[in-house]
Amino acid sequence: MAELVLSKVDKIYRSRKGDVHAVRSLDLTVAPGEIVALLGASGCGKTSTLRMIAGFEEVTNGQIVLGGKPIHALPPAARGVAMAFEAYSLYPPLTIGENMSFALKASKLPQAEQNTRVKAMAEMLEIADILNRYPSSVSGGQQQRASLGRALVRDAGLYLLDEPMGQLEPQLRAVLRGRIKHYLREHKCTTILVTHDQTEANALADRIAVMEGGVLQQYATPAELKVRPANLFTGTFIGEPPMNVFSAEVKAVADMVRFDVEGGTTLSYPAAEISEPLRAKLARTPRVALGIRPHALHLGEGPVRGKVMACQWLGDQTHVAVEVGGRTVVSVSQERVSRQPGSDVSLAVAARDLHLFDPETGMAIAHGGSLA
Amino acid sequence: MDHTSTLEKVLRGVLITLVLVFFLFPIAWIFLMSLQTNETILRIPPSVVFTPIIDNYTALITGQLRTAAGSLQLNFMQNMFNSVLLSVCSVALSLLLGVPAAYAFARFKFRLGEDIAFTLLSFRFAPALLVLLPLSLYFKSMGLTNTYIGLIWVYQLICLPLILWIVRGYFEDISPDIEHAYRIAGNSWWKTFTRISIPLAKPGIAAAGLLAFIFAWNNFIFALILASADKQPVTVGALAFVTASGIQYGQIAAAIIISITPTLALALYAQRYLVEGLSMGAVKG
Amino acid sequence: MSQLAIKSLSKSYKAFKVFEGLDLTADAGEIVVIFGGSGTGKTILLRLIAGVEEPTSGVIEIGGHDVADIAPEHRGVGMAFQNFALFPHMSAAENIATPLRAAGAAEDMVQSGVARVAKLLKIDHVLNHAPRELSNGQKQRTALARALAASPQILLLDDPLRNVDAKLRFEMRLELPRLLRQSGATVLYVTQDYKEAMALADRIAVLANGRFVQTAPPEDIYMRPATLGVARLFGDPSINTADTVIASDADGAHVMIGGRRLPIAPAHAARAGRAIILGVRPEAVELTEGDGLEAEVVAVTPLNERVVLLLQTPGGWEFLASFPATARVPEAGARVRTRFSEAGTHLFDRDTGERLDG
Repeated sequence: MAELVLSKVDKIYRSRKGDVHAVRSLDLTVAPGEIVALLGASGCGKTSTLRMIAGFEEVTNGQIVLGGKPIHALPPAARGVAMAFEAYSLYPPLTIGENMSFALKASKLPQAEQNTRVKAMAEMLEIADILNRYPSSVSGGQQQRASLGRALVRDAGLYLLDEPMGQLEPQLRAVLRGRIKHYLREHKCTTILVTHDQTEANALADRIAVMEGGVLQQYATPAELKVRPANLFTGTFIGEPPMNVFSAEVKAVADMVRFDVEGGTTLSYPAAEISEPLRAKLARTPRVALGIRPHALHLGEGPVRGKVMACQWLGDQTHVAVEVGGRTVVSVSQERVSRQPGSDVSLAVAARDLHLFDPETGMAIAHGGSLA
Repeated sequence: MDHTSTLEKVLRGVLITLVLVFFLFPIAWIFLMSLQTNETILRIPPSVVFTPIIDNYTALITGQLRTAAGSLQLNFMQNMFNSVLLSVCSVALSLLLGVPAAYAFARFKFRLGEDIAFTLLSFRFAPALLVLLPLSLYFKSMGLTNTYIGLIWVYQLICLPLILWIVRGYFEDISPDIEHAYRIAGNSWWKTFTRISIPLAKPGIAAAGLLAFIFAWNNFIFALILASADKQPVTVGALAFVTASGIQYGQIAAAIIISITPTLALALYAQRYLVEGLSMGAVKG
Repeated sequence: MSQLAIKSLSKSYKAFKVFEGLDLTADAGEIVVIFGGSGTGKTILLRLIAGVEEPTSGVIEIGGHDVADIAPEHRGVGMAFQNFALFPHMSAAENIATPLRAAGAAEDMVQSGVARVAKLLKIDHVLNHAPRELSNGQKQRTALARALAASPQILLLDDPLRNVDAKLRFEMRLELPRLLRQSGATVLYVTQDYKEAMALADRIAVLANGRFVQTAPPEDIYMRPATLGVARLFGDPSINTADTVIASDADGAHVMIGGRRLPIAPAHAARAGRAIILGVRPEAVELTEGDGLEAEVVAVTPLNERVVLLLQTPGGWEFLASFPATARVPEAGARVRTRFSEAGTHLFDRDTGERLDG
């Protein structure tokens, strides 16, 4: 258990074809015992960051400090980090059990203690029955769990998990998420998890670092990311289904605030529902990008009119795609609703569910009627 | 992580230079030899200072070799022609037979498939002489001794296993789904093979063909035993320079330079294919 | 008459049986989703229909004709692969044009055909790109366009959204039904995402343990799962289960859960004494002020736009309850009373896992 601090970390891959700036001036602090997810699409720099912390990639600029000690110049083995690889990287000539106990061999733990640990870990990950098999004879999902187990079973200052559950079946994944989170908490493991799956990040992490284009977009709790996205990227990236975004003109008239949305829809709210400072700001802002989460777009009476394109019931919720002024918007109901494709519907959205962004910079202006 | 110090860099440079000198020196020396007369080559102590002459090359091209003991007829250009003919034809035949066979071994798991593929490769394990004694007897009775066809046939022992194993690895790397997609789109299996499989395995086929060409070109023993002077390639033809009046070092060197030129040019041209072919196709686990 | 019919189809590799005795029909224009976990043979089934692999036994009929002796290129099917399987040495346009060219269409017909599907799938701006220059989403659309280009009677889609990012997967999920309807093809769609299955399917065929466990519209699959296995596969979080026994007395049929009596449909009275598994969907758990099963809230976790409560009865039974994120839910440590809505409560035989209807 140790604190990890990345300050002004850059990663530049130099090649004859030109330099690739994979990570830009990244500042990130992970508190002792905290679980942090690096979340982003492929190529966003999350894996480069993880590999720099592990020591497989050189840090171009900046420093990485673990438990008060700079580690970015140390070779990987001297850093005291445990890592689970996306590609498993199990040792083929060793059994699953031997793979898991391999890292413990170096520790001075008594043999019996090592065995108990491996066994307990294998039970948690539901691979106890394959401990004597070789990696090549088990499925990808089992190899992945073995790789995860090999990392977690060690005593390390920091645990790095690269897409640790990508190969698992959905049912098993849901169960293991809970168990792994519980384990990490109980052992107060400082953990960094790299994933492209926001459900996984939300379920496991205390804080999520959203990355895009090598730049940290926002570093906050899952709830904060959802309610107060710092910019348009996080706003549309976080949340399933993704946020609907429109370009809108602002007309602040005396006691009403009006948004003329592209495609001819108008949203009007009594001034009382919009905070005073925000109204002042809007008076100076002619155009905004208007973000509405699908769950906040309610079917029924409302100012937004359109035609149903698709209506899909998923058991515990219904997704309705509606064409409004040539654009497709998505509304989610928690109940089962049934609308025929082609039929007319109205949609409503409350002022408290609006997210406003600067259309040029993408930075958040307001969330739910008050300034960001 | 790259933690190289200056010392490491210097040491690495020195080592690379040593290796380069070790491997390139003979070639450089041969080249210098080819521009000298026997006398300057054999003088003691040796020297790199001399007046270059091109007599060795003209002798090879005209076929007239003048030595202290008198004039001698040379067949070098004929040898050169034989080399080209034998290598090109055997590689072409090998590709014609080997590429479809490699595809079959890669795609269809048939009974004894692995065994057949391995048997083909095992021809390369046996010392050539072991195969040659029975072969020369067969060839005699079949009338194939000293024919181009016979030699090309024998050269398949060199080329076929090489092409088969390298190209097979390449075919295995192509996702069967890509072929299936082309099939389902409405194309026959033959069209799928020629339009999808072959183009996608092209780097492997090029690399394997080149390697086979080099091996065929450099072969000595098959032609030595199964062919007489007019069908012999340069590797065997070089023996003619061991004359009654001594060994003609200058001419041998010139012959070597001329004979390595085609393969060297080919290899340089296809260098990247070669490296790729050797490291990806055949060695694939 | 059904456009596609599969009759007692079996496939095995040496001693390994992938599936046995599969029966399935699909009407013209119908979207049938083949749903199952990995390794259940969904992809192999598609390959058999496409004709690139041969079944061990059984019959495949397309348009009423047995296609056993018909080569893949003559079966009139289009297929999109999970790994896209684009031809790397051809541009996107040439990839899409392949089936049209193979059918011998004139050059201007090929061009207009490519332009039409490319526009439909919004990839007209990348038609000149080589596959390696395309993003994953564009690759997936190109693969789909290629499958659709020659307007095949049967369209086989092998988990086409597996390898694209969440945002795009969602967009495509909403867009696909319309696209597929427009194509008029009979669609077999393979997926292991139950939401995708429910969103796209006219009917879902659930493949497990080498057979179709249930083939029905999404509504039936979710509301009346044929087996416990099917119930477990649909729903996030998964259905709660408890072992219990059907009892019957003067007050009617019931089961005991967490030491409390839970009345069940009267028809079950005839099964008194039967060992069963009670399944309760997390969203069927309701909090109540009145009489109900007592439980303690162990943990509260958000899951997408819902909030999931882990509850524990005094008897130690743990179960999940799922509510809309907007709902007021008690905090961890609180004691609550719960009841189960009838629509989300199912009874399964403990030995066979079969559904017991009330």
